[in-house]
Amino acid sequence: MSERAYPARAGGGPAPAQLADVLERVLDKGIVIAGDIEIRLLDIELLTVRLRLLVASADKAKEMGIDWWEGDPFLSRGNGDKALEERLRRLEAKAGLEPAKDGGE
Amino acid sequence: MNGGWYVYGVADGDREIDEPKGGVRLVREGRVAAIVGPVDLCEFDQLDERLNDLAWLEQKARAHEAVLDELVGEGAVVPLRFGAIYRRPDEVVALLRDRGEEFEADLDRVRGRIELGVKGFVDRTALENTLARERVATAAGGGSGRAYLERRRVQREIADEASAILAEAARTAHERLLELSVAGTVSRPHSRELSGRPEEMFLNVAYLVQAKDESLREEVAALGRAYAPLALTFEVTGPWPPYSFVGSASREHAAQ
Repeated sequence: MSERAYPARAGGGPAPAQLADVLERVLDKGIVIAGDIEIRLLDIELLTVRLRLLVASADKAKEMGIDWWEGDPFLSRGNGDKALEERLRRLEAKAGLEPAKDGGE
Repeated sequence: MNGGWYVYGVADGDREIDEPKGGVRLVREGRVAAIVGPVDLCEFDQLDERLNDLAWLEQKARAHEAVLDELVGEGAVVPLRFGAIYRRPDEVVALLRDRGEEFEADLDRVRGRIELGVKGFVDRTALENTLARERVATAAGGGSGRAYLERRRVQREIADEASAILAEAARTAHERLLELSVAGTVSRPHSRELSGRPEEMFLNVAYLVQAKDESLREEVAALGRAYAPLALTFEVTGPWPPYSFVGSASREHAAQ
């Protein structure tokens, strides 16, 4: 790797960042998984991660247009192909792609 | 393979990736570009179980962090959190269109800046011993049951005093570090199990600072020297991608 603009991580020297610090940042708020998830890391009262995962779960995902589990029999709970198709149609229309007309071409 | 596109973050639209690893590439739209990589959705099925699997979670979280670490040193990056996965590239394009202005504002906010984490630890026993020694110097000792009750009372007072000192130290440290940074955010301290340290964490904060500005690190070192007699230590982590200062978090800070 070429020279980096930043000094190496402080605190831990060459050691990798602490997992708790990584999780706190990588998971915090942003998460996006289908609802009803409870995380029990080591059965520890888990910093803010669990809370924020839950806060951010399904609604946040919808807001960001993330719905890859929908329409997937392994992942979804009852969302059929129809919902997925409708979603794709809406996205394509939004993206300025030729929208499929109702009733086919 | 049931493929999808994992979005790690967002960069400027004219950004290039020098040595892409793991199939990481850019999906451009307007003035922003999504940093994406191919993923197998099967790796993310039964997610509620997997999220409880610390080994799985660690691997995914570190992989996410590693991709951003590679890119964040060489230009502005808005990190997304774990798990932003889309089925198709045009869905990523739709994300960039829908939220392009927001991403642009975030990119401008973090450009040339980095996130540093600061944690404060206390050896509470050492602190309380110090406080107790100060008292012994001024108070006379005694014997018998009354003296026992008196010692218990003093212990409680010392514990309260230690807590007050920690609260004050946290407030002072945060105030001084905030003055040296663009923005700051306070998180809950980690438990001992999470931090893996014998000391108790009493401060867990993050700051957005200019990339080459060492003044925050110097101030943390100064705080460490100042508070050493009270058995307090401080630690800097990072630089991190500016997770704590983009998205809705940044709007909260801006409103403060």
